[in-house]
Amino acid sequence: MRPRTGLRPGFLLVFQRELVWLRRRRPGLLLLVTLLPLGLMGLLMAIFSAGLATRLPIAVLDLDGSDLSRAIVRTVDATPDVAVAQNVADLAEGRRLILSGTVHGLLMIPRDLERDVKAARRPEVVFFYNTQTLTSGNLVLRGVSNAVPTVAAGIRLSLRTAQGQPMDAAQASLAPIPVQVHGLFNPTLNYAHFLLAALLPSLLQVVVVVASAYSVGLDVETRHRLAILRRLGGGLWPAMAGKVLPYTILSLMVLGIADSVLFGVLDLPLRGQRGILLLAGILFLLACQLLGILLALFLRSTAGAVSVGTLLTAPAFGFMGIGFPRLGMGTFAQGYGALLPGTWYLTARIDQTVRGTPSDLSWSPVLVLVAFVIGLAVLAAWRLEGLRARRRRAGPGRTAAVHGGSAP
Amino acid sequence: MRAVLAVFRHELRRIVTVRPAFSVLILAAVIYAAFYPQPYLNEALREAPIVVVDRDGTSSSREMVRRLDATSDVSVALVLPDLPSAQRAVYERAVSGILLIPQNFERDLLHGRPSPVALYADASYFLIYQRITGAVSAVARTLGAEVESARLVGAGVDPAVAGAVVDPMPLTAVPLFNPQGGYATYLLPAAFVLILQQLLLIGTGLLGTTPDPDRPKAGPLATVAGKHMAYLVPEALILPFYLIALPYLYGIPRLGSAAMVLLFALPFALAVSGLGLIASAVFRTPLAVQLATAAVGLPFFFLAGFAWPPEAMPEAVRLIARLLPSTSAIDGLVRVAQLGAPLSEVAEPFLTLWALAGLYSAIAIALAFRR
Repeated sequence: MRPRTGLRPGFLLVFQRELVWLRRRRPGLLLLVTLLPLGLMGLLMAIFSAGLATRLPIAVLDLDGSDLSRAIVRTVDATPDVAVAQNVADLAEGRRLILSGTVHGLLMIPRDLERDVKAARRPEVVFFYNTQTLTSGNLVLRGVSNAVPTVAAGIRLSLRTAQGQPMDAAQASLAPIPVQVHGLFNPTLNYAHFLLAALLPSLLQVVVVVASAYSVGLDVETRHRLAILRRLGGGLWPAMAGKVLPYTILSLMVLGIADSVLFGVLDLPLRGQRGILLLAGILFLLACQLLGILLALFLRSTAGAVSVGTLLTAPAFGFMGIGFPRLGMGTFAQGYGALLPGTWYLTARIDQTVRGTPSDLSWSPVLVLVAFVIGLAVLAAWRLEGLRARRRRAGPGRTAAVHGGSAP
Repeated sequence: MRAVLAVFRHELRRIVTVRPAFSVLILAAVIYAAFYPQPYLNEALREAPIVVVDRDGTSSSREMVRRLDATSDVSVALVLPDLPSAQRAVYERAVSGILLIPQNFERDLLHGRPSPVALYADASYFLIYQRITGAVSAVARTLGAEVESARLVGAGVDPAVAGAVVDPMPLTAVPLFNPQGGYATYLLPAAFVLILQQLLLIGTGLLGTTPDPDRPKAGPLATVAGKHMAYLVPEALILPFYLIALPYLYGIPRLGSAAMVLLFALPFALAVSGLGLIASAVFRTPLAVQLATAAVGLPFFFLAGFAWPPEAMPEAVRLIARLLPSTSAIDGLVRVAQLGAPLSEVAEPFLTLWALAGLYSAIAIALAFRR
């Protein structure tokens, strides 16, 4: 007869035990896998809510004070990237403003600029900018280097017509080889939202590896507890599946909620195939969980597994090549990046969201994730069998005696 | 005072004997010093691969391709006959951009008509996009200017005047502090500060939550003061290591004096260990400390307003960010060390750090009273 309470050993029993345990005994762990990643994503979304960084302040040192120099300042101020926040009297003051962090750059217009331009002496306009903060440095440079040539183009036209060239010919020869730049896959060049979409897997990778190391670590820390778990599951495999699946489901929900905000509310492009995206997501979460399990199985100490898991995954963002691309990295960094499930999930994710990669070219990162899951599962099985064999050798009597004690 | 010293000596011994705390404070600091900078050691992205679709096939178009390949930013990895196969190469991630040189490129150039080229660059990776568009635009501009001045000189214009007609008012951009625009030079000084914070925060959190049965009898004030002093001892080695030695070893230029950097780091260390004392009172067990702090490093880094300009963040977020020592420390330490700013220019983050150190220590003392 089958008892209806679900007390029969098996996958379901362990699954239910894990859920009850999470709710009653370990609310902290439940928070760690659900509210913490969602809260951190919310915080990151707030940080990048502007989407684009615009009107970054720069200072101007106008030593000319002519119509031309004023036109340059006006044009620079009119670009979306830059705002002229301050006029300074000398270079020292401009330098001080950059050091104090008030402005990101200083545009210096030399004395007699207008006169020298008219006399074809090619005076230089100089822009000093702070590249220590690369993002804002590049943005203010873009603004200024768009604006100054615009003003110069007007001068070039008048110089040419002064040489006796007809207006339309002069216009045509302003840029002999214009480059029509098309940004593939990200036409608005909105990096904030792009970065957000990549930060989510990085956070989840840390959370899932650490949470899985923790929850499994508690059950395998001593032989006794591992034995209980196996008995509850009616075998090691159903026990492990029941132990792991609640977290897969919870993490998948977190991924789903965060992604529905990213793609639904923030309108990130979702051009690829959702099936592949979902499959890659599940494989990624499973691989992270298995990584955590392996740490717990090999280290046999929950605290050790959690700290090694943190050590390996917390700095992983840099290795996954979102900021600095992997193709520019050295061998060690490329190799380490390749060992992270997140690297391959991000590849698949970028393929299936912004790039809209054709399906016949989409499978390689997904297959790598499959290999990860199979490989890690085989390793975990091998280790579990090893632990079981060792336990057999130790004899059943001895394990009963070390009830509640710690593993060597 | 005797109680403070007793706490100091006791806590100093625990830093070495409580193994998880020692691992985080000392071992992890050594591991991260070697491990974290690895992705960025090449400093710049070079030779980003692109594919060329040359529909013109003339000496002018080949000259442009040759010059592009000669730049250090871009390498011409493939030459393909048509756009669809080039697109496929982009999807395969074999290349990151397509340069399309249309038919009649040379003819239009010789006839004095604008002769455009089209560049399709992978914009899903910011640095790659920047490199490719920068390199192609620069090559097109140089080539165009040569063609234009040759044409003017051919038409009988004085060569000096021709130069002015082509570029009457050149813009010289002077990058300050990180002249090569290197990625390691940009990222590491800030990342090191964040690593320092996370390790000290977790380390002090672990020490505070690990059971300590034979702790010396001392009042809350003496306890907090003694612990602060004890944590400054390992930090007296680790802060100079991370803020002076590592930047030197990784070839990151430093303009500020070492003494100024360390002076600025003092309130930072105090604020972080104050926060660690609070964290140990909130989380209660070593495992809870580890779990709660594992994933917060990345969001903390973006909160600091270094990778993403603070001007673009909402006011409320900037307020929250100021409560973290890392925000003021990254801002101040980078400006002191890399920009060589005097103390007067970093007074605001410096005072903020002292205020945070005072605030967090006061809260830690209050929490100790309650216990």
